[in-house]
Formats: sequence, C-alpha cells, structure tokens
Amino acid sequence: MAAEKAEMDALKKECDGLRAQIEAARKAVNDSSMSGAAGGVASVGRVQLKLRKTLKGHLAKIYAMHWSADSRQMVSASQDGKLLIWDTFTGNKLVAVPLKSAWVMSVAFAPSGNLVASGGLDNMCTVYNIKAASPKTLRELDAHTGYLSCCRFLSDSEILTASGDTTCCLWDLETGKQKIIFTNHIGDCMSLALSGDMNTFISGACDSLAKLWDLREGTCKQTFSGHTSDINAISFFPSGNAVITGSDDCSCKMYDLRSDQEVIGYQDTSLNAGVTSLALSNSGRLIFAGYDDFNCHIWDSLKGEKVGVLSGHDNRVSCTGVPEDGMGVCTGSWDSFLKLWN
Amino acid sequence: MSGRTCSSGHVVQAQKLVDQLRVEAGMERIKISLTAADLVRFCQDHRRSDPLLTGISASSNPFKDKKTCRLL
Repeated sequence: MAAEKAEMDALKKECDGLRAQIEAARKAVNDSSMSGAAGGVASVGRVQLKLRKTLKGHLAKIYAMHWSADSRQMVSASQDGKLLIWDTFTGNKLVAVPLKSAWVMSVAFAPSGNLVASGGLDNMCTVYNIKAASPKTLRELDAHTGYLSCCRFLSDSEILTASGDTTCCLWDLETGKQKIIFTNHIGDCMSLALSGDMNTFISGACDSLAKLWDLREGTCKQTFSGHTSDINAISFFPSGNAVITGSDDCSCKMYDLRSDQEVIGYQDTSLNAGVTSLALSNSGRLIFAGYDDFNCHIWDSLKGEKVGVLSGHDNRVSCTGVPEDGMGVCTGSWDSFLKLWN
Repeated sequence: MSGRTCSSGHVVQAQKLVDQLRVEAGMERIKISLTAADLVRFCQDHRRSDPLLTGISASSNPFKDKKTCRLL
C-alpha cells in the first residue's frame, strides 16, 4: 500500500511539473494578442443579412442541420422523428427519412451526397442511403454507451462520432465496426469538426475543454482550456490553423493551434445565454453563433466585436451552418423552423 | 477484488495522464505575434471571395425568391 502511495505521489508531482511546463511554454509565446494583430484592419461595419426563406415542415424542435457539399441540399433533424432533406433554392422538401428513435441530436450529410447519418439518445449512429427509391438503412453503428451528440462523414466508408460516453469514434462503414476510439475527455463530448485535410479533428466537451486529435494515430495532440462550462459547438477556422468554440458560459473563443492557446474571446455583458452552435463565413472573418436567447449573433472574428444579429426565431437557435460556397447562413431552431439568410 | 487491484487502477490512470501531458508538453509553440498576423492575413486575402462580406446581387442570389414575370 505504501509503495502504491509513493508511486501516486511521484506521478502527481510529475503531472504538476508537466502542467507548469506547458503553462510556461504558452506564456513564452504570448508576446501579442489578436487585437494587436488586427489593429490596422478595417472594420466590417454593421453586417445586416436578410431573411430569404423560412423552411416549414418539421412538427417539433429542430436539433441539428448539415449542408450538403453541393451547397444546395441540406438535411435537418427534429424530435418529431424525421430527417428532412431540403432543396434550399426552391424551399422544397426532397426526401423525408422516418427515424426509429425520435430523440435525435445530430445529423450529417456525406460529401458524396449519397448518405446521411443521424443519432441521439438511442446511443447509435444510423446511416441511410437516400439515393435509393425510398431511404434505406445502410448501417446501425451501435457501440457507444452514451448519447450520440455529433457525427461527420469522412467519406461514404468512414464516419466520426462524438458521444455522451466521453469518447469519439472512427467507424468503418463497410464492416459497421469501430476502427479507432478516441479517449481523453472527462465529460460528455458535445461536438466535433474535421480538418480540411482529414488528418485531424477537434472535439468540444462538457469538461469545458477542446481537444485536437490525430485521426490515424488515435491520439490527443493538444488540449485547450479557458471555458468555464460545457463546450457545445466547435469549428475550424478556414485556414485550419485555429479553432473556434462556443460554450454554455455564454462566450465563444478562438484558439490558435500553433501558439497552443486562446488568442481572442467573444463575449458581451448583455449576452447571458449559452452558445448552442456556430459557423464561420468563408474568409473566417464572420462568426455566426446561435444562442439560447433565440438569436444568432454575428461576431467579427478579428476584432472581437458583435457586428450583427439574425433575429426571427421564436425559440432557442439550436443549429447553424454555412454552405461550402459561403453564399448564406442557415439557422435551425426549437421553434421547428429553419431560416436562410444572406 | 483486493485493495491492491483498486489502487493500481488509480496508478494506471495517473500514468496515462502523465503520458498525455508529456505528449502535449513536447510541442513546439509559435509566437502569437506571428500566428495572429497569419490569421489576419488569411481573412484579408479571402475577403473578396466571402459572399457574406462582399454582398450578393439579387440576380445571383440562390436563396432569394424570384419574382415571376407576367406578360400582360
């Protein structure tokens, strides 16, 4: 017993030493700030986007949405037990996918446009072929021991999931089996985002941490702290060198991957609502963040100022997305509607 | 289950934490003055190809409801 205690004490000492080392290394490169770097940049002024379409069709709260790579189709998930695939140019519903479990929390479109995936309190990720005559269940990925909070396709043969069981997982869709399990978070994983080159991904969790993972090695490379509550939303900055997070602590933060720390925060004393979702405009200059206060607030990512708001929903904005061509923003809400703005 | 098995579980966990911190401590960090400037440069270089910044003309707006033209 004494030997165990001695070992634990030694490990704790090493742990404390390493944490101090990391903090010192971060401090050593903390020679400036984003406000300093963006001082000479012209303001974007007031960003006033117009509501172009309201998509009606769901009968209950919308929990998730995801754009197709074609920047025209979009899939939404509601706790009315349906996935709807929309043609956003016409506002028409193209496909309705009935769900076995209505408690859906996440939805994803495969880059090919052939498949969609969803999951939630059933702890599973179900993949559907939507190009068949009627939507066909391709796979039921069943191994998580907690709810499915987020899923993203790498291709038609691989998908990444994040779960309330604190792990993320890479699945092989040909076999339906887990390829790699990513363990390191100590709270429910709430959100994930894939890097453009698909070599890494980032996750945000209820332990208030964001983590960068090597997709092929299965290891956690970096951990970002600072938030004081659950991270609900996470996204890569378009250059791939920074990460934006949104949290229940009512703030968003930008962490630079190469400096390994927060470079700017986005908060306002008048904003007392948690951030549920976020998406960036194509240049990375604008952050569209959905909040519990029924609005999507627009932030200037470089200057840290609020530059606009998308108002119109009658309940929490639960999901936000910008298509690949950057031509607009879609917001989804607990009020059962999706809105398109540009 | 013996008391020893319980404690060595803690040791394994603590060792994992140390190993993870070693990985994270080992990275080379770049000065914020350089990385922030790089992020600013990216935004500036891409602002002309960001429709939500530049604006979208009515004729090329895919989401705008087109008014139909009626020949009288």
